[in-house]
Amino acid sequence: MNVARVHDQSYVTLATNENYALGALTLGSSLRNSNTNRSLTVLITSQVPSPLVDQLRTVFDLVELVDVLDSNDSANLALLKRPELGVTFTKLHCWRLVQFSKCVFLDSDCLVVKNSDDLFDNDEFTAVTDIGWPDCFNSGVFVFRPSLQTYSSLLTYAVQQGSFDGGDQGLLNSFFPNWKRASFVYNMTTNASYSYAPAYKQFKDSVRIVHFIGAQKPWYHSYNLDSGSVMGNVTVHESELINQWWKVFVDNVLPGLNEETVSRMSVQLVSRKPVSVSVPVQQEQVVEAAQPQAYHEPAPSAPTGKVVGGVEVGSEVHQQKWQHGQIEYTGRDAFSNIQAHLDAQLKK
Amino acid sequence: MSKGKIKRAASTLRALEGITFESCLDEGNHCYDINKWLIEVAWEVANKVGGIYTVIRSKVPTTKLEFGDNYIAVGPLNEAQVRTEVEIKEPEIGALRSTINAMRSQGIGVVYGNWLIEGYPQVVLFDVKTAMWRLAEWKAEMWKSTHIGAPDMDFEANNAIVFGFLVTWFIGEFLHQLGSEPKYVISHFHEWNAGVGLMMARMRQLDVATIFTTHATLLGRYLCAGHCDFYNNLDNFNLDKEAGDRGIYHRYCIERASAHCAHVFTTVSQITSYEADHLLKRKPDIITPNGLSVKKFSALHEFQNLHALSKEKINNFIRGHFYGHYDFDLDKTLYIFSAGRYEFSNKGVDMFIESLARLNHKLKSANSDMTVIAFLIFPTNTASFNVESLKGQAISKQLRETVHNLQNELGKRIYEACLKGDLPHGDTILGNEDIIELKKCVYTSIQRHGLPPICTHNVVDDSVDPILCALRKCQLFNNRYDRVKVIFHPEFLKSTSPLLAMDYEEFVRGCHMGVFPSYYEPWGYTPAECTVMGIPSITTNLSGFGCFMEEHITDPDTYGIYIVDRRFKSADESCEQLAQVSCFGF
Repeated sequence: MNVARVHDQSYVTLATNENYALGALTLGSSLRNSNTNRSLTVLITSQVPSPLVDQLRTVFDLVELVDVLDSNDSANLALLKRPELGVTFTKLHCWRLVQFSKCVFLDSDCLVVKNSDDLFDNDEFTAVTDIGWPDCFNSGVFVFRPSLQTYSSLLTYAVQQGSFDGGDQGLLNSFFPNWKRASFVYNMTTNASYSYAPAYKQFKDSVRIVHFIGAQKPWYHSYNLDSGSVMGNVTVHESELINQWWKVFVDNVLPGLNEETVSRMSVQLVSRKPVSVSVPVQQEQVVEAAQPQAYHEPAPSAPTGKVVGGVEVGSEVHQQKWQHGQIEYTGRDAFSNIQAHLDAQLKK
Repeated sequence: MSKGKIKRAASTLRALEGITFESCLDEGNHCYDINKWLIEVAWEVANKVGGIYTVIRSKVPTTKLEFGDNYIAVGPLNEAQVRTEVEIKEPEIGALRSTINAMRSQGIGVVYGNWLIEGYPQVVLFDVKTAMWRLAEWKAEMWKSTHIGAPDMDFEANNAIVFGFLVTWFIGEFLHQLGSEPKYVISHFHEWNAGVGLMMARMRQLDVATIFTTHATLLGRYLCAGHCDFYNNLDNFNLDKEAGDRGIYHRYCIERASAHCAHVFTTVSQITSYEADHLLKRKPDIITPNGLSVKKFSALHEFQNLHALSKEKINNFIRGHFYGHYDFDLDKTLYIFSAGRYEFSNKGVDMFIESLARLNHKLKSANSDMTVIAFLIFPTNTASFNVESLKGQAISKQLRETVHNLQNELGKRIYEACLKGDLPHGDTILGNEDIIELKKCVYTSIQRHGLPPICTHNVVDDSVDPILCALRKCQLFNNRYDRVKVIFHPEFLKSTSPLLAMDYEEFVRGCHMGVFPSYYEPWGYTPAECTVMGIPSITTNLSGFGCFMEEHITDPDTYGIYIVDRRFKSADESCEQLAQVSCFGF
């Protein structure tokens, strides 16, 4: 029962790298599943690999490449003065989508679980309170009116006042002090220790949008394809929500993914039988809480010569392996090798 | 300073056992003269997490006597604890002041003050979160110089790395501020989570002598908890693999690298030395056993009185707890206990319960009239007090009050009767109403359907709790015919508790014996505390304290320290020995 489409209003999200592109794809699919009649727009940066850009085009009506340095001079100048606000400025680009009369911004770590189109009944600036400081709003979901004038005022404000938390949330909270409050169900931020459990129990069925805040994003977890459940160290109510995310991902995003991304994700996807995509997944892998994968290419480091298992010993790539929990402790990374290196350093 | 030089110095130290250390305890005068400093680094300086806190606290008074104000303790900032334990001020020593200011000017939160413990040492505490933004940079440096990395998600390791780098920064800056005059700076690091500071001080080639002390090993704790025959297989473990499989490889690397890089490596007991030799592949240069400040318990002649007073409190609790089943003679009852962190097999609770069951059998078959009541004090998650336990205390209290009132009443009646010139008669003194009152009380107490509870609280996940399961398996249910009764108290003892209103120290004094048959116990303060409180205890030759006593005292039994052999005997034999000691030690 598709209602007439509203073409001058859009949901907007942002993908700044391969990781968040996976998030955006899942978010976009969840919006489609919710039978929205609004357009879908995704802002991307040049860090998103091209196969994923192609896939984003199949889900979103509009894929807009934003690049701060190529944009207008004022933003460029602003960024030179406050380099720490780089990512924040990327998000502000959504105000330049003036082909739309009104938009709803969603962070790409959100998941729409029920149709949320009535958010568009609100006007700029509507958002949901932040659970850490309820006088502020959480900038993961908000209603706004694209306008070049607002965009440039925001930039000027950012350069002059900065952001009290160093990110977009602090900036937007200062800029829109008279924001209007929408119900928490439009931006239910997940929290490992949910502080008001009875309310969660009472209202969880009316939740429209789940927002996975925090460092451990759903795509960092391991997921068992056979049982349809997330693995590792998560609480029950977290796992319910993360399972929902993975279900949308597996049903809608995984089949269209390119080989390279799938093979990279094979560590996280656990199954007895090969997954129905072109690259077989490793058999029955037991991975407790998988670590995030390397998504950016580390800068080349000075050569140390020795290459083991395709990795130069002591290089940044090698360090990344440790950071992601991929330590070859019975081989390359055995303590005897570390000790030899320590002794060499001590002799210097 | 070269490693060889320090090692030689260390070996001469060992040969100088007869040295009179008192002559060095000159309030730091000698240290001021030769510009010698000691920087002691631990995660538990003014920050109580576990036993290291006690270790540091107990060694401060003597260390201060030797180093005076040239002793600096360094730790992480724990704001809640600092508020009550540290007198915050600004440093008077110039070099220290400029070092701290240099770090503060770069945005690092540094608190300086005097720690309010005996010895009143100066402490420097770093607010780790103010430096968290440099984590990536420091991890990269650590990687380059040591080839040890750390997973992003291990927050504890991240904290240890940032703290370590702050310490190295502090030491480097401090050396710089001391100027070019000759100086001797020693830095002493405890445990792996201070180890990064040691490694980096060595990697940056700072002119500082380093000591690493391990109080247990990471891998040891994990392996022991994993039910493997730890001590008999110490030389067979594939260390890298065991650490890697348990997801602690990076921590293990930090620990082992710290031990490897340190000029002097020490540990706290013979047993941990043995463990470190195998699991860290370096034999400790010196063993420095932990001490206890005995002054606190110096009331030697009052031991007996205190024991009697505390014991009476326990007696009262027992009378209530066993109401309706109180058919044993308290004068022929022994109170024994075990206490500690809830690590079921590491603390030997399994063996304790097994030997209690055997003791029960022995006493029953010998038709003994002795009763043994065993307390297990191991805090775990509880929902609330057990209703039955509370009820017992209420009933005994009611009876006590009724009898007390009656006593007063009887006194008056006898007095009245005598005043009138009559000799009091049984019937006239104890009337029918009084008998009815007493009957009421007696009936409530014999109306008990169940057995006296084996646990004072409702334990969360009661059906899988290892202690309760073991008690059930051994059928220790406090039946009338059982000569060994058990009471599991799954909470710290508090003097405000409605059940057993005593603090730990008081409770220990009231008992007859402490039993600590630990399997993994790098040092073990519990038996040591018993000894200084004049209560005999049983420990094992796998605990640091037990080994120490066995080595230094010819006949520990005479000091009330019984040592059970868990090293060279099978579990079964050890149990038997433990039951034997508990039974016939008295």
